[in-house]
Amino acid sequence: MLMQLTLGGLSQGMIYALVALSLTVVYRSTTVVNFGHGDFVMAGAFLSYVLVVLAGIAFLPAAALAMIAMFALGVLFNRGLIRPVKGGPHIGLALMCIAAGYLLRGIARMVWGREVLPMPPAFDMEPIFIGNLVITGDAVFIIGTVLVLLLVFFGLLALTDLGKMVQAVYQSPRGARLIGLNVERFDDFAWGVGAALGALGGILVAPVSLLHPDLGASFLIKGFAAMTLGGFGSLGGAVLGGVLLGIAEQYAGAYIDSALIEITAYLVIVLVLFIRPQGLFGRKAVVKV
Amino acid sequence: MPDKPLLEIRDLHVGYGKKPILRGASYDVMPGECLTLLGANGSGKSTSLNAVCGFVRPSSGSVMFDGTETAGLPPHRIFAHGIAQVSQARDLFPDLSVEDNLRLGAMRRGGRELSQTLEGIYARFPRLKERRRQPTRTLSGGEQQMVAIGRALMSRPRLLLLDEPSGGLSPQFCEEIAQIIDALKLEGVTMLMVEQNLNLAFRAADRFIVLRDGQVVDGGDVRAMAGDHDAIVRNIYL
Repeated sequence: MLMQLTLGGLSQGMIYALVALSLTVVYRSTTVVNFGHGDFVMAGAFLSYVLVVLAGIAFLPAAALAMIAMFALGVLFNRGLIRPVKGGPHIGLALMCIAAGYLLRGIARMVWGREVLPMPPAFDMEPIFIGNLVITGDAVFIIGTVLVLLLVFFGLLALTDLGKMVQAVYQSPRGARLIGLNVERFDDFAWGVGAALGALGGILVAPVSLLHPDLGASFLIKGFAAMTLGGFGSLGGAVLGGVLLGIAEQYAGAYIDSALIEITAYLVIVLVLFIRPQGLFGRKAVVKV
Repeated sequence: MPDKPLLEIRDLHVGYGKKPILRGASYDVMPGECLTLLGANGSGKSTSLNAVCGFVRPSSGSVMFDGTETAGLPPHRIFAHGIAQVSQARDLFPDLSVEDNLRLGAMRRGGRELSQTLEGIYARFPRLKERRRQPTRTLSGGEQQMVAIGRALMSRPRLLLLDEPSGGLSPQFCEEIAQIIDALKLEGVTMLMVEQNLNLAFRAADRFIVLRDGQVVDGGDVRAMAGDHDAIVRNIYL
């Protein structure tokens, strides 16, 4: 029972980790919390639905195409909507993100209304039985994909020159300019990567859940909760926070009350802010000099 | 030919919002010299440096670097021409190691002689070699300043801008900075420096310029002024 819950939570938590990580990628580079990010997740899911169901493309190439499209959308979003208002007050950036999110949601509603769409299963595989633990193909696929992606992401960040440059931009944009980096281009890149990773979250859950235009809202909250738990702004913390949140939801739902699954994220946000506001990996309010 | 300036600033106007800082400043920096900008707070010294390296966009006027107009270019394009700044806040990457900070200074130049240049920096600053694996936030102020200078030198700049290199550091370290500047001059690096510490400014620079209200009001050879700092101080602050 415990193992089964942990596995289910891990599988769900990997998705949260992806959403929280992609939110953090954007937040760290531009200090903008993308309030429209949930709708990027939704757009990823719907794009893959369109490509698989309507265009008849196989799941994997469809997923790749959807991520490329979302990367482009992220870059365009930054260039067209965020960069022009960047010098202004922060609230303008937040509202721009909300507006863009609602725009995506509006497009999805216009096409699909309030329909709930089933996506054909993508990872057909016989479940694996270990004792009384059942490992489904979905779980294997989700956990495996996200693990590989995380390895690549953190490996690139820590070990390559490009990754060091990204860290440089994160830690001191002015310093990055002093060494001749085109910081604006790095910001574009961060928005592109953030949008694509968030979309992948949607793509991965699409085959195991039902699609509807409003599905992004709950992912945004889960992403925030994961970031808060891990330490707002910490990349590793976002991942760990996401995984822990996924598992906590399952435990709370099974051992306390199934109604708790939906509100675990809110409880986590409140508890963390009361007990350890900087989260697990956050540093106490760093004053930038 | 040494009589052709490396950097020519002509009638430069820079303002933040409605407030003008530089109001038609004109001066030259000759190849191989260290020119120091003097002046009271708000006279436009740091703004001069930031306009030269592209952090602020001049509203009018010209900045010619070795025959190329660079006024209005973004910082990374100006950097590619060979202008690097050591800023007052140093702007290091606090969580990256000393070595990563230094290596990043050479990223835009391409990697072939990178390790050679790095050894050169370590030879100049042996203390940085000892601490090369430490994150720069754990270093003392003086060591951080060495990283900042080293990082700028990693790009092998043709013009090095130094904004308050002695800022907040001990007198002993000021002498160290002066020796670094001497050594750089021997290697032919041209420098434009802002320095509040007049002892250091006159010890290290060849020439000085006094800015007041965004215009050049005085200037000359440092040696000719030896022993007459009082006159300059009066000129700056009165």
